[in-house]
Order: sequence, then C-alpha cells, then structure tokens
Amino acid sequence: MARHKKIRTEEQDDPAMDISSMIDCCFLLLIYFLVATTLVSEKKLDIVIPGGESSSSTPSPLEPGSITVKNDGSIYWNSDLKVGEAFDTTAAVGTAAFTAQRHLDELVGSLKLLKDQATAVNETPIVMMSGGSKTPHQRIVDVMAALAEAGITTVGLNTSTEE
Amino acid sequence: MAKKNMRGADEVSGDVDMSPMIDCCFLLLIFFVVNATAITVAKDANIKMPSAVSSSDLKDAKGCIVVNIFNDPDKMSDEKTRKAFLEAYPKPNVWWSSGEENGGYSPDETDALTEYVSKQKEQMLARNLEEKQIRIYLRGDVNAPWARTAGAIKCAAAAGVVNIVFGTLPTK
Repeated sequence: MARHKKIRTEEQDDPAMDISSMIDCCFLLLIYFLVATTLVSEKKLDIVIPGGESSSSTPSPLEPGSITVKNDGSIYWNSDLKVGEAFDTTAAVGTAAFTAQRHLDELVGSLKLLKDQATAVNETPIVMMSGGSKTPHQRIVDVMAALAEAGITTVGLNTSTEE
Repeated sequence: MAKKNMRGADEVSGDVDMSPMIDCCFLLLIFFVVNATAITVAKDANIKMPSAVSSSDLKDAKGCIVVNIFNDPDKMSDEKTRKAFLEAYPKPNVWWSSGEENGGYSPDETDALTEYVSKQKEQMLARNLEEKQIRIYLRGDVNAPWARTAGAIKCAAAAGVVNIVFGTLPTK
C-alpha cells in the first residue's frame, strides 16, 4: 500500500519521517489479531461442588434431585424417568439430528420445577449427578447445559464410577 | 501523532493525509490485542470439544487451570487424529494433560496431577487472585469416558479447587 518513496531531486529541508513501513507493520499486526480473536470461540459451563462452604445444620426440606447418566449415554431423572436417549455417535456435528439430541427439554422442565420449589422455601436446589465409567463426555456436558439452562450451578458430582 | 501539516494556502500538494488512518489503525490494533489476550486458555488440538446448547462466554481466563481429558486412542475414529495424539503423547495410557507440555498424566499419576493443580493454585494465590476466581477448566473430548473426567475432578478437589468450568463449543 504505502510503498512509494518520494523521489526528490533537489535538496530539501523538510525532516519528514517515512512512516509507510510502520503502517505496513501495523496492518500486519491488525490482521493477525483480527484472525486470532475470531478463532477463539470456546464457551464455558460453570459449576460449583457443594460442601465447600459450611451449610446450616437443619436438613433441607427438599428432596435432592438426582441425575443418572448411563454408560450408553441415556439420562434418567430421579433414577426412573428417562429424559434422554442413548448417545447417538452417528450424528455429525452441525446436523439437525445432532442439535436435536443436545436439547433435553424434559430434564430442563424437571430441573426448573425443582428450582421453583427450592426458591419457594428459600433453599438452594440440590442436584446430584452420577455417571457410568464409560459415559461419553458429551452427554455429561449436555446435562451441565440443561442445569445451566435451568439456572442451577451447584451440582454434586458422584466421582465414584461404577459399571 | 496526528499533527496536520500546516501549509500555505497556495501550495498544491497531491499527498493524502495518512495520520487519521494511522490513528484508527492503532485504535483497532489495541482493541484486538486486548481482546486476544483476555480470553486465551492453552488449547490442545487433540481434543474434539463437546457442544452445549446454553453456555456463556469465557470472559476471563485468569485463574483457569487447564486440564485436558483425552479419549482412548484405540477408540478414535479418525486415524489421523490417533496418530497425532500418539505422537504428541508417546507415553502409554495418557488420560489427562495440563496446559503445559510435560507428556501428560496416566491414571497412575493422579498424585502428579494433584500436585500440578495445587502448585498452579499456589502460584495464582501468590499473584493476588482470590480463591473463588481459581477454577479448573476441563477440556474434555466428546467421547472421553466419565471415569477420566471424574478422576480429574477428584484430583482438583484433592488440591482444593472446587470450581469447575467445562469447556464447550456453542451448538449452531
């Protein structure tokens, strides 16, 4: 762009600095950072493990909700209600089938109900999640997304994995 | 920076005044520099990130202790990914790796992972970060089994980090 040096024949006393190379550098950096920032698209799901802070000694009047994710990726609410089908590995990322499988509307509904009940008695909703040792990570993230959608961020994770 | 050349009214000049453009460029440059550094966590290309329907932007990477959770290389469908993974982590049975390059951790090395997390935590506390700002950032592969994720969470809990962030990609 700015590469034309002025060719002057006669002696001149204007001490102008040639800034064209600096502009070149700037543009290069600008384009680099433009590209670098658009590539960063990772998102996050926050959760907190309960028990870190001291809770009141009186037991909560609410039954804690429990989510069980089986090895095949099927999801159960309170161990009997099936809210998610087995993980379909054939659906490619970006397809409608893949997106449809990420939505766990029934689970979100149950979680919202639990949260409403908890807020009614001024309690924090308690949810326990346990997974099978071979449960694919995507299914765990699906459950976490459902929890985030329902507005529950404190989740007990059962890390003792049984078959 | 952007001083206009004062010239006599009768002087004819074909030069374009570049200074406002340079000003703009610098402004944009600084904007993108700040943006790029604010949301950077160490990324491992061997991980296929899971998608989530409702996730929020990672506004601040400060206090994030990155732990990558890999899938079993024998179960990787793509031969190219498998080869790349085994090249990057030649050690047998690597389940996790930290944000730093150190060959990864196998399930027998939970103590080493715990030590890494607590060391990172100490360093962050030394840099005046608050305890609640310190989070473990789990970058799990789509097909990584729960046993591995649970193991990483256990190590983090043993090191005293109870805030967990699951790295995801948005569902289109």
